[in-house]
Amino acid sequence: MEILNNFNSLAPFPLASLEVGKHFYWEIGGLKLHGQVFLASWFVIAILVIAALLGSRNIQRIPSGMQNFMEYVLDFIRGLAKDQIGEKEYRDWVPFVGTLFLFIFVSNWSGALVPWKLIQIPDSELAAPTNDINTTVALALLTSAAYFYAGIRKKGLGYFAGYLEPTPILAPFKVLEDFTKPLSLSFRLFGNILADELVVAVLVLLVPLFVPLPLMVLGLFLSAIQALIFATLAAAYIGEALEEHHE
Amino acid sequence: MTYWTIFLAAEAAAETTTEGGLFDINATLPLMALQFLILMAVLNSLFYKPLGKAIDQRSDYVRNSLKDARELKEKSEMLAAQYEKELRDVRRQSQDIIAKAKAEAEKISATKIQAAQQEVAAQKQKAADEIEAQKAEAMKSLEQQVDSLSNQILEKLLGAELVG
Repeated sequence: MEILNNFNSLAPFPLASLEVGKHFYWEIGGLKLHGQVFLASWFVIAILVIAALLGSRNIQRIPSGMQNFMEYVLDFIRGLAKDQIGEKEYRDWVPFVGTLFLFIFVSNWSGALVPWKLIQIPDSELAAPTNDINTTVALALLTSAAYFYAGIRKKGLGYFAGYLEPTPILAPFKVLEDFTKPLSLSFRLFGNILADELVVAVLVLLVPLFVPLPLMVLGLFLSAIQALIFATLAAAYIGEALEEHHE
Repeated sequence: MTYWTIFLAAEAAAETTTEGGLFDINATLPLMALQFLILMAVLNSLFYKPLGKAIDQRSDYVRNSLKDARELKEKSEMLAAQYEKELRDVRRQSQDIIAKAKAEAEKISATKIQAAQQEVAAQKQKAADEIEAQKAEAMKSLEQQVDSLSNQILEKLLGAELVG
């Protein structure tokens, strides 16, 4: 803590101080929450809901404006789900995969594009909701639950028989996979977004003008790719669980 | 460079504290999951369902329109083929009629020509006969004249008493 205090007193640029692992705590019924994550996520949710409202407020056969854009988004999501899950069953999973993609995408981009620094909150700073491990683990665990649900709903307990195919020797690895899947999903997203924000922050700390710009652009690209990866992998896992095993 | 080391130190310091740190998992996680599910339900009723329905209806509409158009096209092509066939039949019929009429006309003209030729031949014959008759008559009168002339010549030469 002493070093940290020294660091804060030494920091010559108050504009570009780094805050990592500090949280704006809320306490509700003895439970601790990360307030900054919720504030940012509400912002993201508001954007999504408003966009959805604008898109579906006045549905026309010949779309225009916002409806056109949202239909493009929906088409993209449907294509993603269809590619991974298959023509027959993708429709049920469009809301889940789509919300994953939209929430992560808008979260990531809000972290890069919205000047959160201008809003002061105690003890912490606002950033992309996806740079908090809680958010990414929540999404990853939901994905796990989703593919288990998909498999069990379709095949009953026979879903677990799929672990023994093609050979029972691989069953332990398949069980292990069920743990590594959410772990890799959550850490990939968390790590990428946090690292991106840190790199930009450090560069801004060193050279405040122009030099961080290419990295910020790269960050935008990376954020979009991460959202796509998360949604695609989630859809792929669901598709895998729905797959028929007998040849 | 110094900032880097300080930053790393700060991170380490943050992680050693009991509260906070990068991997601080608490009630945010389940609440976030719940929030995400609610968002999913809201977006499902606001976005995926209505717009998905709109897209599906539109693709149905387009498909039906295409089907109708294809049917209409087939129908029109069939009609065109039928018309063409009828046209061909009619043309053939008209050609038949023309040929028949031509043949008839030729027959008529042939008979007429023949009749005319016969008439001409008859008239020619008649004229020839007439000429022949006139010639015979002329000959006869000429003979008479020759007779009388020869009588007269004889009379002149021998005298009337000898001749008569």
